[in-house]
Amino acid sequence: MMSPIRDEDRLLLQAHADGELDPASVSGLERRLASEPELRAQYEAILSLRRLIRSIPDDDVPLERLRAKVTSAIDRPIPERASPARKNSWCALAAAALVGAVLSGTGTFIGLQQQTNRQEIETFVVSNHIRSLLAEKPFDVASSDRHTIKPWFTTKLPESPPVVDLGGSGFTLVGARIDVVAGDPVASVVYRRGRHTISLTTLLGLREVPGGSISGYHVKTWRDAHFTYVAVSDLPDETLDDFKRAFTALATN
Amino acid sequence: MQLGAAPQRTRGNGLPRVTVETVGVKATSEIAVDEAERRRLFNEVFLPHLAQAYRLARWLAGNGADAEDIVQEASLRAYRGIQSFGGINARAWTLTITRNTAYSWLLKNRPAAVVFTEDLDHNEKARLESPQENDHEISTPETVLLSRTDTETVRAAIDALPPPFKEVIVLREMQDLSYREIAEIIGAPVGTVMSRLSRAREILSQAIRGSI
Repeated sequence: MMSPIRDEDRLLLQAHADGELDPASVSGLERRLASEPELRAQYEAILSLRRLIRSIPDDDVPLERLRAKVTSAIDRPIPERASPARKNSWCALAAAALVGAVLSGTGTFIGLQQQTNRQEIETFVVSNHIRSLLAEKPFDVASSDRHTIKPWFTTKLPESPPVVDLGGSGFTLVGARIDVVAGDPVASVVYRRGRHTISLTTLLGLREVPGGSISGYHVKTWRDAHFTYVAVSDLPDETLDDFKRAFTALATN
Repeated sequence: MQLGAAPQRTRGNGLPRVTVETVGVKATSEIAVDEAERRRLFNEVFLPHLAQAYRLARWLAGNGADAEDIVQEASLRAYRGIQSFGGINARAWTLTITRNTAYSWLLKNRPAAVVFTEDLDHNEKARLESPQENDHEISTPETVLLSRTDTETVRAAIDALPPPFKEVIVLREMQDLSYREIAEIIGAPVGTVMSRLSRAREILSQAIRGSI
């Protein structure tokens, strides 16, 4: 019976097999491989699995057809902007998500034409929320402490919005991220309720954003003297109402 | 509808003004891309990696027809968002867009197929992400067994992996990308790439051994 291999050794062996180990560690590991059979066996297993995987023939790529498809897709005139008739469609969302799709974790700032209408603000906020759910984590900085999040925003944004701990009302503060809405970097604070995620995006100034729902996500919006708040979640509308009440009660104190 | 408070940034040529800052790319530049330049960049950055993009999409979608749709959609996203290319790694950038497009495509067309680690319940997550006792016993005789496996078994085992594990295996073994590049593409820390890769290899080894 061989002794179990420790996790750090497994990762070390794997890094070696993947050619990711620095030369100093390689020579140390090579010595151990020579003297520890169980380590050697594990290493061989990684390599033989690799040989197996790499023996799968590459899929044939219909390259000519793909090129033709791609070229014809981008030669089609690009729709000017999402028209109001399309505001609730996936197409409109996808167009906005295009912006989201190319955003990276540390923040990409894309200035778009400022023909922003209010439907688009909602669309941006919802697509930012969806993108965040597709990412590894729905936030750039993880913290349940508003005293961590607030200064983080201060380093990223000209105006940092109120960050409120709503744990007492059943909404757990989990983190924050910077989103882009119509070209402007904005603050989004992320809360959890059970397994549901709420993104609370704060826009500077008084913006007209109707509430409602887009692609199954509920949007709740309210304002105070300085900011417009847009909350997005798949939680029921009533729960978002509770969220809004809890937020406004605490934010004004 | 025009917002009174919003600053006017519309320019004469109607094109967006863009400031780009991507992961690992420090250069911040302000550029305006005209259509010819956009096309040139697209041809240089995205098109050369079309085959790789298709292979990744094919693994994630499970079939060629869907992979073609995904690549087509990804190419549009890439074309429209070409300004966000940081100028460092065209292949990683292309694969990032393809991967994200594949997930949004799957989410839209086959929501049941998309499992994120966040959606798994605690037990499933623990089972998938932490090594298990009997996983540690990959020994020499099994290594021999592995070498007798046919490629269809391996392909099926990879296809059966949950997406977060499948993608790291495909990117590492089929696309031969480094940990760093994979981390950039899937938007996760290198440590996460390493642990998922390790776990993916354990699941594969087990599945292959189980099928013999």
